[in-house]
Amino acid sequence: MTRYLRSIGAVLVALVLPVVMGACGSSSSGPTVTVVQGTAPDYLDPSQGYTTQAANSSWVSYLGLYTYAHASATAGGQVIPAIATAPPKVTGGGKTYTITIRKGLKYSNGEAVKASDFLFTIERAIKLNWGGAAYFTGNIAGATDYSKGKSNTITGISANDATGQIVIHLTAPYGAFENVLAFPSAGLLPSTTPMTPQDTSPPSGFGPYEIKNVVPNQGYDVSLNPSYASQAIPGVPAGHVNIHVKIETNTTTEAEDVLNNSADVFDWGDTVPPSLLPQVQSQAASRYASEPTALVLYFFMNIKEKPFDNILARKAVIMALDRNALSRLDSGNITPGCYFLPPTLVGHPSTPCPYGDPSKSPNIAAAKKLVAEAGLTGYPVTVWGEERQPRKEYIDNYAATLNEIGFKATTKIIASTQYFPTIGTLKSHPQTGFADWQQDFPNPFDFYLLVDGSGISQVNNENFGEINDPFINSEIKALTPVLSSQLSSVASRWEKLDEYVAKKAYLGVFGYEKVPKFTSTRINFSQAIFHPVYGLDYTSLTLTK
Amino acid sequence: MSTDPALAATGTEFSSDVARELQKEGGIGPYRLAARRLARNKVALAFGALFALIVVMCLLAPVYAHDIAHTGPNDEHITQVIKVAGKPTDVLSPVGIPIGPTWHGRFFLGADGSGRDVAVRLLYGGRNSLEIGIEATFITILLASILGIVGAYFRGPLDGLISRAFDLIWAYPVYLLGIALGVTLQLQGLDLGVFKIKGSSLVLTALIIGFVFIPYVGKPIRGQVLVLREREFIDAARQQGLGSLRIMFGEVLPNVASTIIVFIPLILANSILTEAGLSYLGAGVQDPNPSWGTMISDGIRLIPAAIHLVLVPGLMLVLAVLGINVFGDGVRDALDPRARIRIEH
Amino acid sequence: MGRFVVRRVASTIGVLIAISIFTFLIFQAIPNGDPALRLAGRTATQTQIEAIRHTWGFDKPIYIQYLRTMEKIFDGSVVSYNQGFNVEEEIRRDLPVTASLALGAGFIWLALGIVFGALSAWRAGRWLDRGLTVLSMIGVSMPVFFLGAVLAYYVGDKWGVLPPGDYVKLTEDPWGWLEHLVMPWFALSVLFIGVYSRVLRSTILDNINDDYVRTARAKGLSERQVMIRHVLRNSLIPIISLWGLDFASVIGGGAILTESVFNLHGVGQYAAQSVQALDIPSVLVITMFGAFTVVLLSAIVDVVYAALDPRIRL
Repeated sequence: MTRYLRSIGAVLVALVLPVVMGACGSSSSGPTVTVVQGTAPDYLDPSQGYTTQAANSSWVSYLGLYTYAHASATAGGQVIPAIATAPPKVTGGGKTYTITIRKGLKYSNGEAVKASDFLFTIERAIKLNWGGAAYFTGNIAGATDYSKGKSNTITGISANDATGQIVIHLTAPYGAFENVLAFPSAGLLPSTTPMTPQDTSPPSGFGPYEIKNVVPNQGYDVSLNPSYASQAIPGVPAGHVNIHVKIETNTTTEAEDVLNNSADVFDWGDTVPPSLLPQVQSQAASRYASEPTALVLYFFMNIKEKPFDNILARKAVIMALDRNALSRLDSGNITPGCYFLPPTLVGHPSTPCPYGDPSKSPNIAAAKKLVAEAGLTGYPVTVWGEERQPRKEYIDNYAATLNEIGFKATTKIIASTQYFPTIGTLKSHPQTGFADWQQDFPNPFDFYLLVDGSGISQVNNENFGEINDPFINSEIKALTPVLSSQLSSVASRWEKLDEYVAKKAYLGVFGYEKVPKFTSTRINFSQAIFHPVYGLDYTSLTLTK
Repeated sequence: MSTDPALAATGTEFSSDVARELQKEGGIGPYRLAARRLARNKVALAFGALFALIVVMCLLAPVYAHDIAHTGPNDEHITQVIKVAGKPTDVLSPVGIPIGPTWHGRFFLGADGSGRDVAVRLLYGGRNSLEIGIEATFITILLASILGIVGAYFRGPLDGLISRAFDLIWAYPVYLLGIALGVTLQLQGLDLGVFKIKGSSLVLTALIIGFVFIPYVGKPIRGQVLVLREREFIDAARQQGLGSLRIMFGEVLPNVASTIIVFIPLILANSILTEAGLSYLGAGVQDPNPSWGTMISDGIRLIPAAIHLVLVPGLMLVLAVLGINVFGDGVRDALDPRARIRIEH
Repeated sequence: MGRFVVRRVASTIGVLIAISIFTFLIFQAIPNGDPALRLAGRTATQTQIEAIRHTWGFDKPIYIQYLRTMEKIFDGSVVSYNQGFNVEEEIRRDLPVTASLALGAGFIWLALGIVFGALSAWRAGRWLDRGLTVLSMIGVSMPVFFLGAVLAYYVGDKWGVLPPGDYVKLTEDPWGWLEHLVMPWFALSVLFIGVYSRVLRSTILDNINDDYVRTARAKGLSERQVMIRHVLRNSLIPIISLWGLDFASVIGGGAILTESVFNLHGVGQYAAQSVQALDIPSVLVITMFGAFTVVLLSAIVDVVYAALDPRIRL
């Protein structure tokens, strides 16, 4: 019998062992600051990563032909040359881009940067199914064939390693292509990188930082790339501190860590919990700010389905939305608004909202009257929403509002991972529900994809309201070829279009998200740049004395 | 397991005790006897009354909402300003922190993170929690009894199948199976041909919980029936030519009835706790429908600013479950103090 | 004995296969459940979705998908849908956390369960027994996440006695490890202490009147010897078997609520997150792992049972 008892002992030993083992070490010279992140990046391989958490590190670790200026507000939306020597030469009616790369650059692994690496990088992002790959396959000639396996290279890209010249042919003029080239996923990789995901040891790249020491779901280092300083690109500073990113899924702990200086930077993708906000505002007023972002929050209304096929019903909803209430559900982090384009973007109208001031109390009585006038009182409405807080709370509030103005609303809340696939399946015809959009790049075109009638698709539909308006469609078509660098010349036309969408009450926009810029006392807060696309800029972090 | 000291002291020799009392009381039925024993257990009765009181309070939720609080369980008052002790106060502060207990008709126990009346939601939530608990218990007891009796009575491949199914469910951690079923079924509801259950329905949660606990009741019942079927009176019934159904439900069932009765409060208590746990993990009752579990879970987010959001539903939940447990313990003692029944958690 | 082991192993394998099939089927029932859509992201094109479907094999019949996944589980190469991490490595990484939780809590609930149960039986009907009964009843009526949240608030945030959650590695900071785990240990133990002390109390009271105890008394052993050597020893048998199963279920990821309320990145929290993300490969591996520990420890328990109780033959 003792044999069996001993075997229990062995089991216990086996269970204790892992507790005792397993320390991890990271060493890097120079000061290190800790960034706490509530959600782990989706992928750290730049050919796969698409979330803000991923981009926050990868845009400074993988420079592409172009990148964004390291500046805050609108200045940061400016595309500047990185590995390219100058802005692209656009010919052929906007369909041909000719670019020359800088000579003598070296990746962090010592390999030389070559023009053909660009072709390799785009192919790799397509092969590894990067979430935004449609930006490549939809625009670059031959990229769709490559993605379907009909061709073993992208015929629309030619690169000459000897001269450093790259020529890209587009299928149609696309004004925001320079922005596409500035995606971290278009950040150049050496052609020796394996064609398989490298998430636990991200590939070498060219940039001020390199991503190392990945421990899945726990953390990773974004360390200074020692070889960058000597070959720094104008406008892309080399950075001053090493970054250690720690994943801390409990946002209360995350915020407390920064508040009491045991961590240095709060991830801008997270929200400071309301219960801690008063403390943060009183004890850390000098190192906390709420920054506007280009993230629009709205309730879509399906114009193909009763009751929202009726403009009166949609108008009533827009009049009745209690935007201040919705903001309080998000710890006061919403700037109320009615226009689809966020205020940080070119094309955001300056005229007053057509159906009442969004920052004032809603006009429930008038909305109720409109619903009654349309004969829709008591009409059943299913409101779709996702489980995640505070989005679930938005939906409860929205449903309560719909009931107040005379509809008979019930909610349908589904798991966050399954939410967009579900409402994006056209045949499920969702009547109304929550939706949001965060810019991929600062160009109104990126938002208008969502109301483009030609964009309605059977699966992965993003035009949830099934809006198919000839005026919107033709304006989008006309404005698409305008180069990002010349955007200001068509600003008024975008404004007119956005006013039109608001007037037709197509979208129940309720506001724009504000995000936290929150650091420890170790960080020089005023020097830290909050970038409009990629959030707190690691290269701008410096320590206070 | 008695809470009555007098019973506990004597309760250890029940078999002979029963015989003695049966003689003394002049041959009354075992259930009458159990009822008498229970009536003497004042502690158990008091806790039973506590539970009954909670049930009545929850049933009166609409009255409270209509006549005292003047607001429904899902009505939001986010931007309202109310007077507390003469001072105007935001129901929800600009950063989203709700008001605490006001001891007025409306917001007696404060507001929650969406500006809803906590007291009203507490009562409505109780209705949902109790409804799910009762339905789940019904499902568990019914299916476990049928499967346990039928399996053990017929033996053979059918029994093998039922036993393996019990083993299968039993080998899952309760909450893991619960959330897996909850998350997937909520997406589409359940279509059982005749019954169609919507994903947001309380019945769905009750079904899931009821299903998960089946083996915990089914296994012991099956074990008891395996012994019973070898006894003479079953043989006798068979020889008289009684059909299997008659034997199972006429002869076997009454003999396992006391075990089943003992299980009812246990399963009820556990079902209510499990509902709370699943709701905490987002796989139970669906918003905006309240339940004690969802209320605690929503409240945890606002700790430390508003601990009342957790304390209020939590204490109510503990009191209700405590009431069932102590009363159930009394029932068990009254029926058979030797019974050693326990439920996994 | 040999036949017992063979039968046990066979039934274990049977249960594991059944569990894997059942789990797999649960997640196939999702409407629009094409995982390719979820993986592709919001802006993916049809071509991209097709490509993902092909790479992951979602275009294959369901039984092929199942067999492929199982194959990968056995050669250790199974990766999660989200981020494509190796699931078995993830579990190996989370196991120390869960093991730390289970070992400490398991010790506490066993020790206190025995002490309270024995005291309760010894003073049956007296005030001490009543007090302990009330406590254990409250214990079994307390949802662990409520207790955990309240403890974390008062003991952790308000009074600042202990840290309100998180895990610190034993190797990096032994004192911190202990400090961070004390609250989770107690929160998780409360329910079990209640159950064990009640079970032990009634078992002891049953055994006191059993024949063998009378025999022992008749042999002239002192009351103390009778109580400790005979009554307590025999009464511990069901407790040990309960402990084996409960401990196994905590190790196998069953302490989902405790781990999430105290933010411990153990197997349970990994399980909860994977289920919520509908990440089938990870859920599959975790449930099989959980079931395996339960079945394994219950087999061990049976053996120990037989060793302690001469009346049971294998």
